[in-house]
Amino acid sequence: MSKWFGYVGLSIGVLLLLCCIQMYININSLLKNKNPKKDGFDYLPITKMITDENVPNSHSFTDADIAEIKKQPFIDDAAPFISNGFVIKATGGTTLPFTSDVFLEAINEKFIDTLPPPFTWKEGDNIVPVIISSDYLELYNTAFAPGRDLPQFSEKSITALLIRLDCEGVNGTESFRGNIVATSDRINTFIVPESFLKWGNRHFVNSNGPAPNKVLIRAKDANDPQLLKFIQEKNYRINKDKTLFGRIKSVLQAIVSGLAAFGVLMILLALVLFSFYLQLMIARSKENLQLLLMIGYSPSWLSKTVSRKWIPVYVSIIFVTLAIVAGFHWAFQHFVMKDSTELSPFIHPIVVAVAALLLILSIGINYRLVRKLLYKL
Amino acid sequence: MQIRLQQLAPTFIEEEKISGSQVWKNDIVFLPGEKIQIVAPSGSGKTSFMHFLYGMRNDYTGAVIYDDQPISSFDAEDFSTYRKQYVSIVFQDLRLFTEQTVLQNLEIKRQLDPYHIESRIGAMVKRLGIASKLNKPCKTCSYGEQQRIAIIRSLQQPFDFLLLDEPFSHLDDANRKLAMELMEEEADQRKATIILADLKKTDHYNATKTLNL
Repeated sequence: MSKWFGYVGLSIGVLLLLCCIQMYININSLLKNKNPKKDGFDYLPITKMITDENVPNSHSFTDADIAEIKKQPFIDDAAPFISNGFVIKATGGTTLPFTSDVFLEAINEKFIDTLPPPFTWKEGDNIVPVIISSDYLELYNTAFAPGRDLPQFSEKSITALLIRLDCEGVNGTESFRGNIVATSDRINTFIVPESFLKWGNRHFVNSNGPAPNKVLIRAKDANDPQLLKFIQEKNYRINKDKTLFGRIKSVLQAIVSGLAAFGVLMILLALVLFSFYLQLMIARSKENLQLLLMIGYSPSWLSKTVSRKWIPVYVSIIFVTLAIVAGFHWAFQHFVMKDSTELSPFIHPIVVAVAALLLILSIGINYRLVRKLLYKL
Repeated sequence: MQIRLQQLAPTFIEEEKISGSQVWKNDIVFLPGEKIQIVAPSGSGKTSFMHFLYGMRNDYTGAVIYDDQPISSFDAEDFSTYRKQYVSIVFQDLRLFTEQTVLQNLEIKRQLDPYHIESRIGAMVKRLGIASKLNKPCKTCSYGEQQRIAIIRSLQQPFDFLLLDEPFSHLDDANRKLAMELMEEEADQRKATIILADLKKTDHYNATKTLNL
């Protein structure tokens, strides 16, 4: 009777474990970053979290902060945004009759995706190349321009636009012509060459500019749970929907891991039950087994023969559960995911490998136990 | 192949009982082809002696040396080989599988290391008068029949030594003669040594050496 409990327990445990492994893999495949990665990395701007309590504190990143960020294994590189400490007014002139205070930012060239050569400025140049965020262009085109009767621009036509940048500070004012040279998907601000802002900060307000309040990080995977944990621990802020998948993934994987642990527990309990059953079986046949040994049967031969009886059981259990897992997975892929190509309809080789490992383990443990018991006779 | 006893003595028998023995605390060699008769009154350790030689017990001082190796150094696998190929025994308490048939009991032994072909069993059981019991469970046989089964079982393997511990206690004279003849034939065929322990000298046994335990 206890034998059957053991079989059922082992089957359920194995089934649970294998299903969880396959689900874990599925979650990984499905919740990968949707945005096609350019050059294989994710770029994420992070800021320090501003809460009600810490409003008066500084929210800029120190050199130490940046160094620490760079050191993390899941972060490939990081660079601070430099911003203008002086006032800049942008005017569109006749084509674009509006004026506005603007904020300009600069960052290390390596981090800019649509870097048009050349993107340089040196002291004395009147023209400042500007890269604007494609989000802003869209915002302008759809929300701003129609309401004010202003012309709309395409990504190409906006490069013909020249904006006047009036910069002022304690040391006077100066005008520059801003030339929009490209739009960026990656950076959601106005970008100018670092050299311009550094010069401007020194020239207009005699400083190195305000300390950076925003850092751009380059990571292999925006959804890496470790990255998210780091951001959370340091109270940094990352654009929520860039990390949505990551957070969902963490939760799902935690649930699945919990179930898997439960599966492992069941397997262990089943094996314990089997060992009790084996001990009982051998104790019942003790006299006969002892007599066999007495008349010359080899203990190792007997161990092999007795434990061999269990091999068909273990093999059946593993094969049946593997087939069920394959069935579940195929059904999931077919009915829930609607045959999406993101998931293979076949179970992952790792699941098969784990099943094989469990089979070898069960047979091995069984044999060792039988041997131990027989040698004690 | 020879068995040598070096000062073999059981730890649980008093010194006085051992002092006069021709076996205990002696240096003895059993050579191939010998027919040894051990005469042993009750309580002298006759069955213990057999168990020592067969490697079932080791509560003794001294050594039992088989082929220049003390059997105290054997592990479980060594003993398996020892009992399968070199030493056969008829236990005083028989030790048959009572639930199995006579034939099954004999086959269990024979298939381990067959010396005879299967049909030889039929001839032997016939010779000792238990052919009719071949397919009956051992527990339905009389003690005398069971003794004969144990004897035939012991002859199903190769051996250099045949240990017999009061093998004929429940056989009448005629059957004793038949059994003894069979065993001597089998031993001669293998050029093996017989060591027979009994309460007194055994009839129909052509012993070459007699020792008082």
